[in-house]
Amino acid sequence: MSGFEAALVPVGQALLSGLLVGGVYGLLSIGFSLAFGVMRIVNFAHGDLVMYGMYVGVVSATLGIDPLFAIPFSFLLMGLLGAAQYQLIYKRFVGFATLQQLLAAIGLGLVLQMLAQVIFGADTRSAPSMFGSQYVLIGPLFISAAQVVAFIVAVIATVAVEALLLGTHWGRTVRAVADDIEAAELVGLSSQWINISAFALACGLAGIAGTIMVTYYPTDPSKGLSLMPIAIIATTIGGLGSIRGSFLGGIFCGMVQQLTAMLWNSALQDVPLYVLLLLFIAYRPTGMFGFRTE
Amino acid sequence: MRSLLPIAVVAALPALPFINNYILAATVRALIFIALGQAWNIVAGIGGQLSLGHGVFLGLGCYVTGILFNELGVPPWIGVWAGVLVALAVALVMGSMTLRMRGVFFALATVAVSLAFDQLARHYVDLTGGDNGLALKFLGNSLWALQSRSPAPFVYAGLAFVVLYYWITRSILASRFGLEMRAVRDDEIAAAAAGVRVFRTKLLSFLVSAAMTALAGGLYMQFYQAIDPESAFGLGQAIQLQLPALIGGLGTAWGPIIGGALMTVLSEATNWGATRLGVIGVDILIYGLVLLIVVLWAPQGIVGMLSRRRR
Repeated sequence: MSGFEAALVPVGQALLSGLLVGGVYGLLSIGFSLAFGVMRIVNFAHGDLVMYGMYVGVVSATLGIDPLFAIPFSFLLMGLLGAAQYQLIYKRFVGFATLQQLLAAIGLGLVLQMLAQVIFGADTRSAPSMFGSQYVLIGPLFISAAQVVAFIVAVIATVAVEALLLGTHWGRTVRAVADDIEAAELVGLSSQWINISAFALACGLAGIAGTIMVTYYPTDPSKGLSLMPIAIIATTIGGLGSIRGSFLGGIFCGMVQQLTAMLWNSALQDVPLYVLLLLFIAYRPTGMFGFRTE
Repeated sequence: MRSLLPIAVVAALPALPFINNYILAATVRALIFIALGQAWNIVAGIGGQLSLGHGVFLGLGCYVTGILFNELGVPPWIGVWAGVLVALAVALVMGSMTLRMRGVFFALATVAVSLAFDQLARHYVDLTGGDNGLALKFLGNSLWALQSRSPAPFVYAGLAFVVLYYWITRSILASRFGLEMRAVRDDEIAAAAAGVRVFRTKLLSFLVSAAMTALAGGLYMQFYQAIDPESAFGLGQAIQLQLPALIGGLGTAWGPIIGGALMTVLSEATNWGATRLGVIGVDILIYGLVLLIVVLWAPQGIVGMLSRRRR
């Protein structure tokens, strides 16, 4: 191997790890993006549902069930929790992206986080799946099997959501309500049912993201909040409201993190992302794939 | 009643040395909480720009004061002004980039700045002490270093801050500048049409608010004797800084005072009860619940509710 190729190995390694980590970032971002795109709700408590999804994995592991099998349960549970949140809190804010709504979500996030602390304790918990600490070698690069599985699940979930939105009657109604709520109601669509189901789907996706993430990334009650910057950045870069964009934004975030960690310092891996976020908000608020400008 | 309250407070001051230290320390915590809330209230309450990044200015006030004292022996009553200047410079750049954004995007952008500072503070360990934070060199009771073993002197300092900030808030509310800020808050387009220079008004209020936060950061540093990235730049702090004004009443002079005092009583009481039960972090749960309740059912805050009832 020549010197040049040897120098490329760490870059390839960083990009590959970034891709895998980023796929899961993408999955947690599309839920966040969906709630904004359809209802103009900035769900700052989205990360806390991811955190609960992680604890679903932890609980199933302590019961002796592989966390991967808990994914459907996690999806349903977080979907129900999301529907309840929508009814109790977000319903009155639909369509405006107001600061009151952001503050309500922040308050709800704090409550969810502290409830998790009371229920599960403040300790760090992990829940390895059957792929535990296995590694896969691709030439000179090595990757964790758990991350590969998580990436595959994330891709499947994202494709499924895209198919739902683009290919089904329900998806068309969701997009109609997102485009123009008054016109949609005029032609007889019930925005109430559509909103609640879309919000439940967004939260269910948070559940899936959490449960696959906990197979390689330990959790504690504050993990949800710490994931929010990634979701916000991925969604802003990809385009608020765009499912595909948010997913690609998540992958981009993962790669930037890993490259920064390799070239500069792992403690500063998020700094370039914050700078990018500021630049995007200031100069291109619709992101790379945003479809609406208003 | 409003004129009697300050008299009662002043009359009680000589009794301070006889009150137990726990209550004194809680009082100082409340006063610092209130002062920071008053500073945030300027740009967010009167100006309508809900910054989630004021932890940056609190942190700069704390870190600059502390680093100058520890490394160069600069006394905090000089050092804090350096902190204010640094905070003003950062606020100028940060405000220029973010203040043109609308509501939610402004809030998200400011929180990003705060989190970037969090990572930087963790990284530059030599300067900031990294994750563990920065502890002031403790000299014992010293007027030069503004340090004290007893919390009593900080009660006076905290009161001075709260009274000064109350006066500043009242003056701004009564001034043309305050009127322009409220016009921008209520309707940017109408304000611009009426001849208000919208961006300049926003930036100026952001700078005033940042300087006040950094100055109160000096008091924070002298009282707590330490600062770390999480308590300065973390999301928890960003949220806490908003609570006094949100709960008491956004944009009012009494709001942060009432809200801050109420929140401190609530959190001290629940923490006291929770420690007996062996649970931690209940104060945050209370913060979250109160924030939810206020936003959903009392968006005007306590002062707003009271004045509505009086009418």
